[in-house]
Amino acid sequence: MLLTRLKAGGPAIAKQGILIAFIVFMIVFALMSDRFLTTANIMSVFRQATIIGVIALGVTIVVIGGNLDLSVGSMLSFATVLVVDLHDKIGPELAIPVMVAATLCLGAINGFLIGILRLNSLIVTLGMLSAIQGLVLIYSGGQNVDIADQSGTWFAIFGRGAIFGIATPIIIFLGLALIFHVIMTTMPFGRRVHAVGGNPTASVFSGIPRSRIVFMTYLISALCVAVAAIILGSRVMGSQNNVGQGYELQVLAAVILGGTSLLGGSGSILRTVLGVLMLAFIQNGLILMGQPYYTQWLVTWAVIIIAVWLDVAAKRGRLFSPIA
Amino acid sequence: MRNSMRLMLATCGTVALASAAPADTIRIGITQNNVGIDSYQTTYERAFIEAADANDDVEVIVLDAGGDVARQISQMQDLIQQDVDAIIIWPTDGQALVPAVRNAHREGIPVIVTNSNIAEAGMDFIAAFSGPNNIQQGIYSAEMMCEALDGEGQIVQITGMPGYTTAIERQQGFDDRLAELCPDVVQLDIQPGDWNRERAQRTMETFLTRFDDIDGVYSGDDNMGVGALNAAIDAGRAEGMVFIGATNFAVGYDAMERGEYWGSVYQSPVDDARAALQTALDVLAGEDVPKLNYFDTPKITQENMHEFDRPVF
Repeated sequence: MLLTRLKAGGPAIAKQGILIAFIVFMIVFALMSDRFLTTANIMSVFRQATIIGVIALGVTIVVIGGNLDLSVGSMLSFATVLVVDLHDKIGPELAIPVMVAATLCLGAINGFLIGILRLNSLIVTLGMLSAIQGLVLIYSGGQNVDIADQSGTWFAIFGRGAIFGIATPIIIFLGLALIFHVIMTTMPFGRRVHAVGGNPTASVFSGIPRSRIVFMTYLISALCVAVAAIILGSRVMGSQNNVGQGYELQVLAAVILGGTSLLGGSGSILRTVLGVLMLAFIQNGLILMGQPYYTQWLVTWAVIIIAVWLDVAAKRGRLFSPIA
Repeated sequence: MRNSMRLMLATCGTVALASAAPADTIRIGITQNNVGIDSYQTTYERAFIEAADANDDVEVIVLDAGGDVARQISQMQDLIQQDVDAIIIWPTDGQALVPAVRNAHREGIPVIVTNSNIAEAGMDFIAAFSGPNNIQQGIYSAEMMCEALDGEGQIVQITGMPGYTTAIERQQGFDDRLAELCPDVVQLDIQPGDWNRERAQRTMETFLTRFDDIDGVYSGDDNMGVGALNAAIDAGRAEGMVFIGATNFAVGYDAMERGEYWGSVYQSPVDDARAALQTALDVLAGEDVPKLNYFDTPKITQENMHEFDRPVF
């Protein structure tokens, strides 16, 4: 078996199923379209991926901690509508902190219910998904919100600006990814999240404040949503009420594609970045090849299944296994 | 009893209360699709209630399904139970609501479908449809595109959510009319923007990478059209590119005023709501009402835009 040999030859390579799949896809697309591997296109896809990407960073941490966060989609709608609406009312310098604080409150509610009260995260965040959407509709009265002076505001920098020729959202995304990677791999907090997700009971007996750790993961998730909302609001200069609808599933797809275990306890920020980029490049590549949208849905699904399978197979050391 | 009924209704949706009326008033129940999800539907509801309030002979029971098919079916049953004179429905799903509409028809209550039509199988059970003609809107957009490009050029199309009747009909009207009216306008590709501005912006960015030469963009509504415009401006390629949309939004109206957006189709939720109520009243008055009643959705361009109010959504 190829994989068995791969594993025997170098366990390090075998673990990188997602990376190998990513490279294979890039090569296939590059052969199919001469526009694919141009700097302009790569930058454009990177920039498109940042909104899903930033949220996926936070959700990765939640999932490593053994929970789910399905509320990020409507939380994104909430945060974007709020920051865009307040932009014209109180100015961007106040709108941003107010929106971040409000979004953190929503994260704290999630964290309280799941971390402190120990309720099931699937049920809580699924409920929050519709509750927050309701909140958005009450706030906006169903109206779309827009920024009147689109060319004059410095708020444009987050979604449309560039620093040293690199688009700001890319810098924000990669910067956050690096910070969270360091936190999760080298700092006590990261180890505790892994411990809580891997074996909650053992972690409590080891003196880890499980409730507080879980609470923190939801705050981080909400913070990431707030950052994504700033990028989204600045890029679009307006917002619909349901702008984030369905994003929670794209985010989760990217996290799973990155090999983070839904059972908690293991996962990696950097591989989530790969998962995010892979989904974005697939969508982009298929449009460049002129494929209709339903092909994109099918291919995306197939890629997730294959990547997850390869990942599991690499861990087991064989493609088919009677035991997990 | 009446109060508790109202209380019950209030819990399952939005309720507008007309004052207790004498027996000969006309009682009309409406179950809407999803008020609050967008400003079109919010404005529609407000306009509907205002129109009903203005007419002393009419009492309306206003319900909202919140986008939920099951809830809308039970709202239909509630309205049948209350024996209203007519039911207006904005279907959450054109197919799934057919049996509920048939029930009302069997009970002798005329059903008027508003905004987006019921499936073909249900057409026999409704008294009338009232709403915009989305195929005609697509035709209008194609005609504007032809005119703006002088019958020659390369365009891309960004459609609404795949599977939505409105999206399908607009695309169909546009594609057919474009091919017929100016065969020299080539459609390079058609991709969905899901009624979402950010998604449309992404789609357009990829189009801009893929095609060096894009003369025009047709979007299924202005919200997506402005997303496409944003992408083109960002890439420095908006100059001379023709943007045509549908369902004129305030952002589209403003972009038109700045000269960045060529034209769209003006669809007023106020006209939509008034037309629905009027159609119901005509049906009840025993007039010979055609099955399909379209209210006017004219072309709006930079030239004639000041004849129209800035859209409220």
